[in-house]
Amino acid sequence: MKWWMLCKVAWVALQVNLMRSILTMLGIIIGVAAVIIMLALGAGAQHEVDQQIKNLGGNVFVVFARGRASSGARGASGSVQTLTEMDAEAIEQQIPQVSVAAPTIWANAQVIYGNMNWAPSVRGVDNRIFPAQNWQLAHGREFSAAELNSAGRVAIIGATVQRELFGASDPIGQTIRVDRTPVTVIGVLDAKGQNTQGNDQDDLIFMPLDTVRKRIAGMTLASPRAVRSLIVQVADERDMALVEQEMEALLRQRMRTTGTDAPFQIRNLSEMVETRARTMQIFNGLLAAVASVSLLVGGIGIMNIMLVSVTERTREIGLRMAVGAEPADILRQFLIEAMLLCSLGGLLGLSIAVLVTRSLEKFAGFTAIIQPEVVLLSIGFSAMIGIFFGYYPARKASKLQPIDALRHE
Amino acid sequence: MSQAVIESLGLTKTYRMGSQQVHALAGVDVHIQQGEFIAVMGPSGSGKSTFMNMLGCLDSPSSGEIRIQGENVTHLSAAELARIRNRYIGFVFQQFNLLPRTTALDNVLLPLLYRKDHDGNNDFASECLRRVGLAERMDHHPSQLSGGQQQRVAIARALVNQPAVVLADEPTGALDTETGLEIMQLFQQLNQEGKTIVLVTHEPEVAAFASRQLIFRDGRLQSDKQVQAESASEHLARYRAQKQQEGLA
Ligand SMILES: Nc1ncnc2c1ncn2[C@@H]1O[C@H](COP(=O)(O)OP(=O)(O)OP(=O)(O)O)[C@@H](O)[C@H]1O
Ligand SMILES: [Mg+2]
Repeated sequence: MKWWMLCKVAWVALQVNLMRSILTMLGIIIGVAAVIIMLALGAGAQHEVDQQIKNLGGNVFVVFARGRASSGARGASGSVQTLTEMDAEAIEQQIPQVSVAAPTIWANAQVIYGNMNWAPSVRGVDNRIFPAQNWQLAHGREFSAAELNSAGRVAIIGATVQRELFGASDPIGQTIRVDRTPVTVIGVLDAKGQNTQGNDQDDLIFMPLDTVRKRIAGMTLASPRAVRSLIVQVADERDMALVEQEMEALLRQRMRTTGTDAPFQIRNLSEMVETRARTMQIFNGLLAAVASVSLLVGGIGIMNIMLVSVTERTREIGLRMAVGAEPADILRQFLIEAMLLCSLGGLLGLSIAVLVTRSLEKFAGFTAIIQPEVVLLSIGFSAMIGIFFGYYPARKASKLQPIDALRHE
Repeated sequence: MSQAVIESLGLTKTYRMGSQQVHALAGVDVHIQQGEFIAVMGPSGSGKSTFMNMLGCLDSPSSGEIRIQGENVTHLSAAELARIRNRYIGFVFQQFNLLPRTTALDNVLLPLLYRKDHDGNNDFASECLRRVGLAERMDHHPSQLSGGQQQRVAIARALVNQPAVVLADEPTGALDTETGLEIMQLFQQLNQEGKTIVLVTHEPEVAAFASRQLIFRDGRLQSDKQVQAESASEHLARYRAQKQQEGLA
C-alpha cells in the first residue's frame, strides 16, 4: 500500500477514537513542550550572558578595595593601605598587557532637576572609564582636564537618568543638583540596557573623582586619592591569567602586604557571569532531563493504546490480510499510526512551547530562544518514540494468522 | 480434462485439543474447473469452512496440497500467500466484513490498494459496484446500507481483483429469504459471465442453484455430483408473486 494511503488510513483510525487519541498524545505533548521550554529558557539565558560579557568585555578585571574604603587604614606604622589612583597608574605603566586601568568611586545620591527627583548610582571617574567599560557618548563631551583636576561641577548622565529627569528635552548644559551640589550636565551616555540580573546599567551618573570625593556628602576616604575600585582592561584576552598574577604581585608590593587578607580583591567579571550561567544551564539541563522522562512515559502510553487498538481491530486486520495485505503492510499501517500519534503530539507540544515561551517573555521578562535544531530534534525524537513503542504492537498485528484474525470475536 | 483452476490433493487438517485430536479434514481431493458453480454442503462441523479457508489460502493444511492453476501454494511464505489471495481469490463472508466508516467504493478498492502495480484508477471498482446494482450507493458507508446491499458491496470487493475463483462461506446466512435469493441470482449471473464460484451453504434450496454439489461428512467428501442448476431468477419471481398473494389475502 502506498505511504500516503497508509497515512490516510492511520488518520481515519485516529479520528475514530478522537478523545482517546488526544489523551494518548497528552504525555508526548507535555513532554515535548516541557523539553522545548526548558531548552529555550537555557538558550535565552546563555544569550543574555553572552550579551553581558560582550558589554563587559571578556577582558576586564575589577580590583576592589576590600571592606569599606574609609577604614582602609590598617598599617600599624600609620601607613595607609588602600587602593588609590596611583595604583591605577602603576598597573597601566608596569604591566604592558594592560590597555587601561580606570579608578572609580561610587556612591548613592539624590539627584534633582526642577521638581523631578531620582536616585541613581553616582560614580566618581576619569575619562579612562569610557574605554575600560566600553561606554560611548550619545551627546555631549568627556571631562576636561581642568574639570578633573579641580573637582569641576559637571556630570555625564546615563540614559535612564536622562529619561527620568529630562524626558524628551535636551539635558546638555542644564544644571542638576546631586545631593546639595549643583552640577552641569555635559554629556549623555549611550544606553546599555539590562544585565542578566535585570539591573539597569544605565541608571548612573559619572562625575570627576574629586567632585565625588569632596562634594558628595558622607564620603570620607582613607586617603585623598583613595578609590573604591579599579576597572582594568587587558589588551588580549589570552593574557588574563598572566595579568592577574602580575597585578596581584604589584599591588601587594605597593601595599606591602603578604598575608591572606590583602586589602584588595581581584575579580574577573566575565568569569563570575559565566560561573553563574553555567549553574543555570546545569539546572535547566536537569529540568529538561526530567521533562524527557515524561516523553518516555508518553511513549509507554502510546504502546498501551496501540496494543488495545490491535486487539480491537483484529477482524479488520484479518480482512485486510484476506484481500491481500502482506505482514509488512500491516506492520507499516500500525507503525505509521503510532508515529502519527507521536508526531502530532510533538507538533502540539511545540505549539504549546511557543505559546508559553512567548508569554514568559512578554509577561515575566524572560529571554527564551527556541532553536530550530531543538524543534527538529524534539519532533524527530517523538516520531522515534512512535516507532520504538509502536513496533511491538505493530509486529504483533502483522504476525496474526489471517484465519485466526478473521474468526476473532 | 483441462487444467483445474484450483484443486486440493489429499488435504487434511487436524486440530489438537489437549490430548484429543479433531480431524476437521481427513483427506479431500477436489478439482475445480474454470467456470464451475459449486455448492459445498454438509452438516455442521463436517469441515466445510475449513476446506474453504484452505482453498483461499487463509489457513494451511496439516498435510496434502492446494494447487492454484497448477502451482502448489502449500509451502509459500505469509507474504507470498497474501499475494496469491490478492491475485487469485475473492472472498465473500457470512458477516460481510466491510470496513466501517469507509465508503462502499473505498471498501471495494481495498484489494487493489495492496497491489504494488495499482495506478490509482478507480474505474473498475465503480464498475464492479455498478455490476452488483449499487451505482447510486458508492459514497454510502456500510451503516447506511441494508444487509443485502452490504453483501453486494462485499461481492463487488470480491470481484475487483478479477480473481480466478470467488469463495463464499454462507453468503446468504445472515439474510432473509428474498434478499438471499437476490444474492443467489447475482452469483448465478456472475457464473454465467464465466466466474468460477464456490459457495458453502446449509440450505438445499440455495445449493440447488449450483451446477455441482460437494457434500462433506466428518471431514471427508461424501459425494461429488453434477446437477441441473435451478434458476434463481425464476425462484425469486415465484417467491415475490407468492408474497404478494399472501399480502392480498
Ligand atoms: N480453530 C479450531 N480449533 C479446533 N477445532 C476447530 C477449529 N476450527 C474448526 N475446528 C473443528 O473442525 C471441525 C470442522 O469445522 P468447520 O468450521 O470446518 O465446520 P463447518 O462444516 O464449517 O461447520 P458449520 O456448518 O457449523 O459452519 C469442527 O469439528 C470444529 O470444531
Ligand atoms: Mg462453517
